[in-house]
Amino acid sequence: MTHDHPHDPQHEVPRDPVSGRELTCRDICDFVMAYLDGELPEREQAIFAAHLRLCRQCVSYLEGYKTTIQLARQSHETNPCAALPPVPDDLVKAILAARKARE
Amino acid sequence: MSIMSMPEPAAARLTGEAALVARLQAGDDGAYEELVRLHGPAMTAVIRRYLPSESDAHDALQDAFLSAFKAIDRFEGAAGLGTWLHRIAVNAALMKLRTRRRKPETPIEDLLPKFLEDGHRDLAGPAWTPTPDRIAEDEETRHAVREAIRQLPESFRTVLLLRDIEEKSTEETAELLGLTVANVKTRLHRARQALGELLSRRFGKDVP
Repeated sequence: MTHDHPHDPQHEVPRDPVSGRELTCRDICDFVMAYLDGELPEREQAIFAAHLRLCRQCVSYLEGYKTTIQLARQSHETNPCAALPPVPDDLVKAILAARKARE
Repeated sequence: MSIMSMPEPAAARLTGEAALVARLQAGDDGAYEELVRLHGPAMTAVIRRYLPSESDAHDALQDAFLSAFKAIDRFEGAAGLGTWLHRIAVNAALMKLRTRRRKPETPIEDLLPKFLEDGHRDLAGPAWTPTPDRIAEDEETRHAVREAIRQLPESFRTVLLLRDIEEKSTEETAELLGLTVANVKTRLHRARQALGELLSRRFGKDVP
C-alpha cells in the first residue's frame, strides 16, 4: 500500500539497523517509552530521533504522550484547600469495633 | 508538597502529631478515633484510586487502619504520620485487589493507536488544549483527568497509579503486583497510550 507520509524525500528514510526495514510510526509508538527513558541503544535512539525529524505526526504523538504523563501526575497532586468528605460515622465505629475485637 | 504524600492535617502535624502518636502507643481509645477521623478522608481518597467501588474501598480502609493500629508501636515518626498511613493505604488497596473476585475487564485495544497497513499513521495525534501549567490551577480539569484514569481497565490503571502517581520504580511495582518487569513496562505503556486517547477525546483536537 502506498502511503502519503510527509517524509522529506531529501533525507534518508530511517531504517531498522538489523532488518533494514523502514522504521514506521508503529515502531515509534512501540518504543516511545524506552526512547523517553533513554533505554534504547545509542544507534536505535539516533534512528528514532531521525524519524521524528521527518514525521510531524509522531512528533505530535510524542508530545501527547509526555503531556499525558504530566497531566496524570498533576491530576493527583494534593490540593491543600480541597475538602475531603469525612469517613462515615458507621464506618468509623466499625473500624474501632474491629480494633477492640482483635485486642 | 510531594505528590507522594497525602495532605498532612497541618495543625495536627505542627502541634499535636507527636502527642497523638504517644496517645496511640499508650492505647488511648480516643486517640484511635481521632486518627480515623483525621486521616481517614485522605486515605479513602488514595484507596478509591485503586478501588472505585465504595464498598471495596471501605473494606480496604478498615484493613489499612487495622494494619496501622497493629504497627503503631513501631512508628518512629521520621516520615510523618500521613506519609506512613498513605503507604499502608496503598498496600491495603493492592491486597484488596488481589483477594477479591476479579471482574472481566474492558479490552484496552480500542484505546490504543491505530495505523495504516504500512505501519504509518493516517491522522496526527492530539493537540492538547489544556497545558500542564493550566491544569494545575484548574480543579475541574484535574477531576476530568482522574475520571479518565478511573476508566482504564483495572490491571492497567493499577500499574499507571503505582508508576506515574506514586512514582514507584518498575522493579518495585513488579514486586508489589507479582508481575515481571517486562510486563509492568508493557502495561504502563498501554495505560499511558489509552489514557492519552481518552484525554484527547475529552480535550484534544486533531492537528490541521
